[in-house]
Amino acid sequence: MKWSLFALFALVCAFFLADLLLNRVAEPTRRGDGAAVPFVHALHGDSIGLPCSACHTGAYAAARAYLPSKAECMDCHRLPLAEGAGIEALDSALAKAPEYPWSRKSSLPGHVVFHHGVHRTAGVACTDCHGTGYEKDVYGGEKFDMRTCLDCHRGGVPGNRNFRAAVHCAACHR
Amino acid sequence: MLALGSVLGGCRKLPFSGDAAKKGPPSLKMFEAEVRRAMSMNLRRMDLVPVQMPGRLKRPGASDENRFGMAIDLEACDGCGKCILACIHENNIPLVTEDDAAKGRFMHWIEMRGGVPFMCAHCGNAPCERACPTGAANHTPDGLSAMMYKRCTGSRYCGANCPEHARKFNFNDAVRQGLSLKFNDKVPVRDKGVMEKCSLCLHRLQDDRLEVKAAGGVWRGRGVNTACAEACPKGAIIFGNWLDPDSPLVKAARRRDLYAPEDLAGLDPSVVYMMGGK
Repeated sequence: MKWSLFALFALVCAFFLADLLLNRVAEPTRRGDGAAVPFVHALHGDSIGLPCSACHTGAYAAARAYLPSKAECMDCHRLPLAEGAGIEALDSALAKAPEYPWSRKSSLPGHVVFHHGVHRTAGVACTDCHGTGYEKDVYGGEKFDMRTCLDCHRGGVPGNRNFRAAVHCAACHR
Repeated sequence: MLALGSVLGGCRKLPFSGDAAKKGPPSLKMFEAEVRRAMSMNLRRMDLVPVQMPGRLKRPGASDENRFGMAIDLEACDGCGKCILACIHENNIPLVTEDDAAKGRFMHWIEMRGGVPFMCAHCGNAPCERACPTGAANHTPDGLSAMMYKRCTGSRYCGANCPEHARKFNFNDAVRQGLSLKFNDKVPVRDKGVMEKCSLCLHRLQDDRLEVKAAGGVWRGRGVNTACAEACPKGAIIFGNWLDPDSPLVKAARRRDLYAPEDLAGLDPSVVYMMGGK
């Protein structure tokens, strides 16, 4: 009787331990892991004078920033940008890429509103929030919570420019 | 063993927690029938007393530019109830169970009181907000008595403290019980145990504010309208900004006599009734 109780207790503990160890939040994924040619922001951004909104079409004016479709990649990549044959590996990778190479279901909950355009107009740079996404091409690894928003809206981000914005509940919540 | 453990241990939702008697989604006809039923019951009436035109909010941090509100023209309104249905469609308001309906406990944010639509008056000095223990009921600088549903723990103090009982409590888990339809993606569906009420179509104001501010403009809420005002065939509900002289609300209410329910009149209501004058 005593041993069976102990075994039961150990089993329950094992379940909790397994839950703790195995149920992790998904690791951020580097985009292009499966693709022949991974996408690199550094090659597309400032280095060739493209603004973020060239591909993330909503980033400067709309609520959502959007991820580009393949058609938007091809807008530039199909054009004869330079004399010469182009890069064979890149052309074949683009030909094989799906219509929407990136898809993302926003993790913004339904009771929160976020508008990229408003932040842009207020002078917030994309990399103020999406620094890792841009620099390391990490996709889905950024953790935004209400504290991230409030730190900035209250004007208290150390080393950052002093943004102050509305902090009443209904400014962002519905 | 570990895999089994993680499956069992990681099983956050119990397999038996679903509603056994889950029905299909409700039909649009059911919502229309419920509106007719609610209007036929017509439990409460209002005693209206004259009030001044709402001005700037008397609270710290209030906006000098915006104070949103509505005026309901008692001479134009014929009590058709189309505003109630429009509000249901706009704000994903659920049906109620048969028991609740028999007692007249509908979730409708607008109800007919003596043949006149009544909704939360968004009092500048709202007694409901003062009673909220969690800060879920709060006031925006532009005059809306807002609800933060995720903060609401369901104490129902606010509902008890509203003199006109404008607030509605979710006694039912509307989604699981098949009482709710998500008509409008912009409005979250409320959970069981959460208080709700007229939001003055807060989501429309928020969206417009963000659009205007993104374009670098000064936001006065021009061009925004509430669902009930849009739906009214007589144009009896007028939404606008009390502090904007060009607002249709101020233009319509300027030469009229304004009224509010007697027990709200001293609480600086933003939603008023108008008659006579002209």
